[in-house]
Amino acid sequence: MTEALLQAIISGLAVGGAYALVALGFSITFTTTKTLNFSHGEFVSAGAFIGMSALFLVLGKPVSSTTFGDAIPGAGAQLLALVAALGAMGLLGWLLYAIGVRPFAGRPGMAWVMSTLGFGVILQSIGLAIWGPKPVVVPAPVGDAVIRFLGVGVRPQELLTLGVTVAIMLVFDRVMNHTMVGKAMRAVAANGSVASLMGINTNAVMIGAFVVSSALAGLSGFLLAPIAQASLFMGLTVGLKGFSGAMIGGLSNPRGCVIGGFVLGVFESMVNLWQAQWREVAVFALVILVLAFRPTGLFGKKMVEKV
Amino acid sequence: MKQGRHFVAVALVAAALIGATALFNNDYYLRIVFMMCVYYLCAAGMNVLVGYAGQKSLGQAGLFAAGAYAAALLTTRTEMSPWLALVLAAGISGVCGVLIALPSLRVKGPYLAMVTLAFGIVVEKLVGEWTDVFGGAQGIYGIKPLTWNGQPFTSVQWVWFGIVLCAAAHLLLRNLICSRFGRALLSLQADEIASSSVGVRVYRAKVIAFVVAAVTCGIAGALVAQQNQYINSDFITFHLSIFILLLVLFGGAGSMYGPLVGTVILTLVDALLARWPSAQHFLYGFLLLFALYVMPGGIMGLVSQWFQKAKKAGLAAGGSAAPTRIGPDGSGELLVVQGVSKSYGGVKPAQDVSFRLQRGHIHALIGPNGAGKSTMINMLTGVVDPDQGSIRFLGQEIVGRQVHTICCLGMGRTFQNLRLFADLSVLDNVMLGRHSRMSNGFFSSLLSLPQARRQEVATRERAIQLLDLVGLSHLAHQPAGSLPYGLQRRVELARALATEPQLLLLDEPAAGLNPQETAELGQLLVRIGKCGVSILMVEHHMDLVMSISDHVIVLDYGIKIAEGKPAEVQANPRVIAAYLGVDDDAVAAT
Amino acid sequence: MQLKRLCAGLLAAAAVTAISTGVSAQDIKLGYNGDLSASPSAQSGQAAVIGMEAAIADINAAGGVLGRKLTLTTRDDVSAPPKSIQNMSELIDNEKVVAVFGPTNSGNAMAWKHIANQKKIPVLGNVGSGTDITKPMSPGADNYMFRVSMVDREQVAALMAYVKKNAATSKVVGLMAETTGYGQGGLKDMQEIAEVQGIKAAATERFGVGDTDMTSQLSKMKAAGVDTVVVWAQGTPIAQLVRSMEKINYFPLTLTSWAADNITFYDAAGKALAEKPLFMRTVSETRTPAQQKLFDRIGAKLKAPGSFSFALHGYDSVLLYAEAVKQAKTTEGSAVRLALEDLKTPVQGVLKAYDKPFTKTNHDALTAKDLVWIRWKDGKLLPYTDALIGSLTPADFKQ
Repeated sequence: MTEALLQAIISGLAVGGAYALVALGFSITFTTTKTLNFSHGEFVSAGAFIGMSALFLVLGKPVSSTTFGDAIPGAGAQLLALVAALGAMGLLGWLLYAIGVRPFAGRPGMAWVMSTLGFGVILQSIGLAIWGPKPVVVPAPVGDAVIRFLGVGVRPQELLTLGVTVAIMLVFDRVMNHTMVGKAMRAVAANGSVASLMGINTNAVMIGAFVVSSALAGLSGFLLAPIAQASLFMGLTVGLKGFSGAMIGGLSNPRGCVIGGFVLGVFESMVNLWQAQWREVAVFALVILVLAFRPTGLFGKKMVEKV
Repeated sequence: MKQGRHFVAVALVAAALIGATALFNNDYYLRIVFMMCVYYLCAAGMNVLVGYAGQKSLGQAGLFAAGAYAAALLTTRTEMSPWLALVLAAGISGVCGVLIALPSLRVKGPYLAMVTLAFGIVVEKLVGEWTDVFGGAQGIYGIKPLTWNGQPFTSVQWVWFGIVLCAAAHLLLRNLICSRFGRALLSLQADEIASSSVGVRVYRAKVIAFVVAAVTCGIAGALVAQQNQYINSDFITFHLSIFILLLVLFGGAGSMYGPLVGTVILTLVDALLARWPSAQHFLYGFLLLFALYVMPGGIMGLVSQWFQKAKKAGLAAGGSAAPTRIGPDGSGELLVVQGVSKSYGGVKPAQDVSFRLQRGHIHALIGPNGAGKSTMINMLTGVVDPDQGSIRFLGQEIVGRQVHTICCLGMGRTFQNLRLFADLSVLDNVMLGRHSRMSNGFFSSLLSLPQARRQEVATRERAIQLLDLVGLSHLAHQPAGSLPYGLQRRVELARALATEPQLLLLDEPAAGLNPQETAELGQLLVRIGKCGVSILMVEHHMDLVMSISDHVIVLDYGIKIAEGKPAEVQANPRVIAAYLGVDDDAVAAT
Repeated sequence: MQLKRLCAGLLAAAAVTAISTGVSAQDIKLGYNGDLSASPSAQSGQAAVIGMEAAIADINAAGGVLGRKLTLTTRDDVSAPPKSIQNMSELIDNEKVVAVFGPTNSGNAMAWKHIANQKKIPVLGNVGSGTDITKPMSPGADNYMFRVSMVDREQVAALMAYVKKNAATSKVVGLMAETTGYGQGGLKDMQEIAEVQGIKAAATERFGVGDTDMTSQLSKMKAAGVDTVVVWAQGTPIAQLVRSMEKINYFPLTLTSWAADNITFYDAAGKALAEKPLFMRTVSETRTPAQQKLFDRIGAKLKAPGSFSFALHGYDSVLLYAEAVKQAKTTEGSAVRLALEDLKTPVQGVLKAYDKPFTKTNHDALTAKDLVWIRWKDGKLLPYTDALIGSLTPADFKQ
């Protein structure tokens, strides 16, 4: 039984890594612009597909191929694909900010919810037109042989996702708390107008937030593709779960979001061990429970209003 | 009467539509019209929640599911009549509306969106995964449809029923929105704290708004389930929630006809493009992305911009006699503050403060910045609770009571940083002040009973009188936020007076006024005092304080350092030291 | 008033869309309502349409049916029941088709079944395999739903018969299903037939269609000592399942739904793991000459060679319908239904020869005895046989 428990925890952490990356992405845009990217899920899928297309191109196949067949791209090709995915997603993030967020940020109302959703829908439409609905199996950059330790089996790609997430969290933590860039971002998050009076280019910071957040989404997609197959619909569940992780952790606290993502992944795995069909309901019930008692998340800051 | 004419107009339009559909013999078009009716019901209810109450809800699909599955389970598991099932489905959705409202009460903005989103998804997953009860993706079939004369409704009859329901929903909701309740919703959307300070029970109003949206979405869901005689979890998706929201926002949130316009246009576009799902999908995304950018107020917002209604003329000044009585005459103690303390960590805005306020007097609370004056006002009105001590108002202990309760007891206030309902007209702002004194509740407003209408007329008259008193009746229909600062302060004052206070708390009423305006304010306050309202004002303008106050209390760093008639306080050395400081030599000499 | 103007606009739009697209009134209009673009099962839908178009071309070349040509109007329901219902209404009420083929998703068929039965329009399914699709609305009622495709219950019957006969090595049986309607329906069939066969499932587990890790569920099965597992899911989750099996090094005998024939399963599982599951289809890659001829003709248009079976279903479903219309001498719904339920002339289809494929109580043309046992081998869907399969008779396929 402990073997099964250990396996569940490891598997949970692996999938939680993807959720954590997505949650971090949500936190970054929320803290700087007070908006959320409701098309984050589609960005994850887009990242996977752009990476996959880059790999196809390197191998000389057309972008809309449906399978790699026997051609295995080398490490160099994978790295190139990663850079392409991150770059393209960053650009998309900028585009999203310019069209869908900047006109509405700060204004009360639901306009940015709808516009980010609309961006995602259009992205998905374009994706379906280019690649179709069929999932594509993507080879993993670190191979696929099962690694066994302590009676637990795990795939190298899962460990890679976990490792990358932890690394990014540490880097991000460092940047936010110990560098000027981080300070600037936190200043803009606290009070945009005062920050610009202090000479901080708020617009650039907000663009930066969206670029980074979208690149993170693309990275999650790229890492997930070898595990879950690249599909235009893969982002939906990951996006939703990542968002739930962010809600549990507290949107205003990036560290909390990452922890929330991991917690969610492990919680899911545990419920799987108990009664798999209740998993989805249990996850979202947990979210509602947390929000009912701590509306700003477990680690989020309480909102105080001066009367 | 305007109301009667509207009713007749709606009835005629409904009849015309019913007549028109009798000409179709194509079930496909009838189905489209039926779906329009269903979506209109959802949108009309959501408009109350999103447009009027300003609650950003992303979980409508859950409420739709509540109605649909309630109808489905009731007619398949029991022998219940489908008509009764429809009514019960509406009730069950209402209960679900309360469930979704409860966690949403304490959060705002994006957090509210998240909570409602989570609710919608929980319901989606619940009906998908709990297959024993809800049938999951296999669904429940054999749902009994509505019957007429023993026969299930034909397509045409479904459409007629839908049109009748829509007309009824429109009339009822219109009654609600044009009444005290609708005003209260708009006020809580604008500023929750000011709203509760005029006696609006904010939580209750929010819950009711959620319930209204839930009931209409639930009825819509039940209709779909009964018409298709089948429901499964694929009908309940996040996209449905977004679509319903889009119907409202695209048509124009907060406008009466917004939901109608949004529903008709979007359903038609949907049907016309049905043959090309990818184009449909793309257009949907396009609308979501750009529609609100181009038309922030939706289509109705655009329309009302084009056809700018002639601004209603202001009311003639002095048209009605200014009121001579707002509160009761008399003497004696009004408010007793005993040993009140409050600390925020190391900062102590109140340390064992005690004072008494007499009826019929004008009191002033003064002190240097940071002395704890605004905190004291907040404690008196219930916005903040003291750590220790007691506050007795009209003989009742009010520590720990809710803001709106204290307002109902007879305390009115204005705010240091103006809290007007900026988008509402000056008249509406003042009418809102009288909210707690009106007795037409939710149901009498909904059905627009004569008693409710009488209350509205009386309130309107009273509000006009008060506007006369402060000299603003010629600006009655301007949006309050468009007035110059000094006049806005007077609107807030009129609004506070409309709550029929016995004690009026003013937080820096002369801030931002020039000496001339300050003097006028002083005269106004004296007039108000003669109408039976006792006043406590926090002020920095010493000339105003000294000229009109009967009694002055001085705070410094949370401690009461002096109290008494203005002249006494002015000469008190401790007060002088607190404001102006003391010479170092003088201190060293003592 | 604004409202009246809107109404006028509505009527005008309706009039415009009512103009049909140059189809002569004499043609026999067939409709197709299924997923053509939005989910992985769109492949099957597209294949079925290709097969149908080939059959229609062949029939029209031979003179049509009752001297009239057949035409096909397709509608994409993007796997969504509300849209599927809308399409059904559009095809029947607006386009005035006389028969509908499809859908791809069983859930969608359940949603509009009552429309077909109410309007007396025969429906011939050629993809969706949910058992309940061809059940009548109420026992004994006229049933307009027919099917020429895999039927879940028939597959389950065959699989369970195998498990029962294998009692020597299959001592402890486990059931797994995905939580979609497809999986749910299959699980229900599995549980019912297991009971009929006297098999007791030691463990029943579920997983989501998007899951990437089923190790928890498999660990529980392993702990219960399960040595044979019957799985009902779509291609990708089955692939993730066998990959999870590899992770914990636990390989029970695995029998699955036909969805394992999907190329995504093969790609995702990899060559070695793909050979684990045993399942059934209507046709393997060893084709008869007639099937090969059709494959050569349309194979290039198919997105994956594996979806050829659906093209065959599509082709044959049109043939059967044409024969019924010929027999009934009309396209009127109830007459065609009666003809289908009692086809007097055998029809030589491409998949098989049909002799009285339907009766009043049986609306499925392909039953357990028509199915082929399949296993992936070296990247091909090859027929599989062993001593056990050889010894199975139709009597074993208890339901």
